Amino acid sequence: METSPVLRGHLPDRPALAPTRRRVLGIGLALGLGGFLAACGTGPAAVLSAPSGPPQRGGRLRVGLAGGGAADSLDAHSSVSTTDIARIVNLYEPLLYRDENYELKPLLAAKVTPSADARVWTVDLRRDVLFHDGRPMTGKDVATSFKRIVDPKDPKSGAAALAILDEVAVVNEHRVEFRLNSPSATFDDSLGQYTLGIVPADYDPANPVGTGPFKYRSFAPGRNSVFVRNERYWRDGEPYLDELEILNFNDDDALINALLSTQVDAIGQIPLTLLEVIDADPRISILSAETGAWMPFTMRVDRPPFDDKRVREAFRLAVDREQMIEQVLSGNGSLGNDMYSPFDPGYPSHLPQRKQDIARAKELLAEAGHPDGLTVELVTAPIQSGAVEAAQVFAQQAAEAGIMVKIRQVDTTTFFGDSYLKWDFAQDFYYTRNYLPQVNASTLPTSPFNETHWDHPEFNALIKKANATVDDDERNALIAQAMEIEYNEGGYIIWGHANQADAYQQYVAGLVPSRTGLALSGFEFRRVWLGGAS
Amino acid sequence: MTAIDSPQLVTQETKAPPGLLRRLVAQRQAKIGIGLTAAVVLLALLGPVLLPVITGFTSTEFTGRPFQPDGVFGTDNLGRDVLSRFLDGGLRLLAYSALATLLGMVLGVLAGMTAAYAGGRVDSLIMRSNDVLLALPSLVFALLAITVLGPEGWVLVAVIGITHAPRIARVTRSATVDVITEDFIRAAEMYAVPRWKILVQDVLPNITGPLMVELGLRMTYSIGAVASLSFLGLGMQPPTADWGLMINENRIALVIQPWGVILPVLAIAVLTVGINLITDSLARAAANANVGASK
Repeated sequence: METSPVLRGHLPDRPALAPTRRRVLGIGLALGLGGFLAACGTGPAAVLSAPSGPPQRGGRLRVGLAGGGAADSLDAHSSVSTTDIARIVNLYEPLLYRDENYELKPLLAAKVTPSADARVWTVDLRRDVLFHDGRPMTGKDVATSFKRIVDPKDPKSGAAALAILDEVAVVNEHRVEFRLNSPSATFDDSLGQYTLGIVPADYDPANPVGTGPFKYRSFAPGRNSVFVRNERYWRDGEPYLDELEILNFNDDDALINALLSTQVDAIGQIPLTLLEVIDADPRISILSAETGAWMPFTMRVDRPPFDDKRVREAFRLAVDREQMIEQVLSGNGSLGNDMYSPFDPGYPSHLPQRKQDIARAKELLAEAGHPDGLTVELVTAPIQSGAVEAAQVFAQQAAEAGIMVKIRQVDTTTFFGDSYLKWDFAQDFYYTRNYLPQVNASTLPTSPFNETHWDHPEFNALIKKANATVDDDERNALIAQAMEIEYNEGGYIIWGHANQADAYQQYVAGLVPSRTGLALSGFEFRRVWLGGAS
Repeated sequence: MTAIDSPQLVTQETKAPPGLLRRLVAQRQAKIGIGLTAAVVLLALLGPVLLPVITGFTSTEFTGRPFQPDGVFGTDNLGRDVLSRFLDGGLRLLAYSALATLLGMVLGVLAGMTAAYAGGRVDSLIMRSNDVLLALPSLVFALLAITVLGPEGWVLVAVIGITHAPRIARVTRSATVDVITEDFIRAAEMYAVPRWKILVQDVLPNITGPLMVELGLRMTYSIGAVASLSFLGLGMQPPTADWGLMINENRIALVIQPWGVILPVLAIAVLTVGINLITDSLARAAANANVGASK
């Protein structure tokens, strides 16, 4: 199965046409000099302050994002790069979505109810939703949208999460039924993905019509795209902006220079190591949010030396998690406890925080037959900002416990190439996700991204039971048990959860920290407005 | 007795012009070059030794958060001391470049002299395979080899050495061709001196001029190649301190905390300019026996 953006961090392409560093730097210098001269002429610069009061309408927001390339598209269901995601979130809307607090909220659905056996999910649709071309959104559109996504001949990126979906039956204009081939008590979670946008029955990606707050105007893959306000949007008053422009950038330095030279109004995902220095600029505000994103070290539990759970525990005990967060994330992250999905209601927060314990790690290694320590190769690649850095810090920490880590850095294409999911000891990256969907993605024998080759009979049974349990408390208890198994024996070293940090000009208002891990309030620009200062 | 026979005049006539090295040093350009090169080489050699005295940190020790203004030049992308990494990062670059250049010289000179001296089919065979190697862009060839064989030190040295060899072989061949038509070579051949002895004793000393120039030129290319490959993540592997790697690691903070990039860039630039100045003067000294004499 192909790497899908729903399940993992994207692989940013490097387009040839996006603004290059040199060009942006040139503009930056020119503007900087201009600003300096202007300041000399008019005396003290105007005092900048964040806009307040009721939202103002109008204006164009220019958003800079790294990644994206010639392969970018506006297709509602096959987004790959960050810029793709930013566009589809504003063009299309799914039935449910994860809001900034990582809570599942209805969007185009009014109500979602499971049957007692969790095999049939009934969705009542909002009645006031119009597509960009003025036609109302109905059950028929929902059914054809899902048919398009799970099309066996051309499955879209959202299809992976819908493997259990048998069919979508249209009950009437405003009600559909999702019929599943096996019970899933958290199917509503699977529906709350941005890759499951509802499109008209006669959808054509060349004419991208959706229900989102912005309508398509122009699109140049790898460069920029422009959207205009959807006057028929179903939420009163929103969006506030007249226009939204999304610009692609090749790399982080070009992106940051573009912001500092006011070439863009907001940029998504700045390197955490630069957060403090960018924040020092009085014109710039930082949007920082705790997320459940994680960048684990992955140990293959079916290959020596990691087939011995004592070795896995020793490796986990060798990590100084606080130092990891300090050095790799500049302190902008939360501690990891070798378990993912920290926002899941079932997360067992009573389990003690694992800390560095070199003596115990050495003891465990000796018990496992490595009294003199051992040498392992750690495969790393710049798959996400901080990945190569994390590998280096780990190598240094592990040395204390007698673990010699040989770092092998490959490029991203090689990392996700043929050997991906086969490395004995490597890294990976995931955005925030709740437990059961994440398990489906990475820790079942059937999961598409089971890097650790985790196949634990007791764990598998617990997950199967949890999937069929409609009662929340009961299901959360099962989830906690499954997590505890991974806490004790799992193949992941989860040392921390990185914050998501974006930067924007002070005159931009309406951005709120989002736990989803997606940049700039989860790209929900419908709430954004511009203060008069610009 | 005539004036011509006066012993004084004879000694003046037979007095050899100053040696190549002396002619080199006599040029001002060369003095600057030697100064620049020596400064960087000394820094690279002594840096690792003086590290504990100067900064008190090792090059892989964490001293603070990333990109902070701690210490003399701040911290790098992982919160390590930039100055420590800089001091520790030059030696490997220099050693690898020198070894690669040496390997390239040995291979190239061997191939070039053999081709020129043997002539005929051997010459065509060596020089045409040379052309094939030359047709491959050297950096692409290096990338390919390292991707296949892994980023080991010996691979780096071997690959860069091999990409240099054809160019050196060309220069050697043309220089050798000029020499082997000389009478003293014929004389040696008449006395049935073994071929290898003729090449080593008679030909090699007469082509050192162009070879020294080539050595300097190839050294600058080697430095560039090793640094580039490290920058691309295929040379020195982290957490090793290395100038090329440092540039890549710290370039995201170029506008904000530039020393992590500026220091290694400066060092590499000064080193290559220095070597180039020496090479230039060397070329002049080799071509003209009176260079520097007038100054």
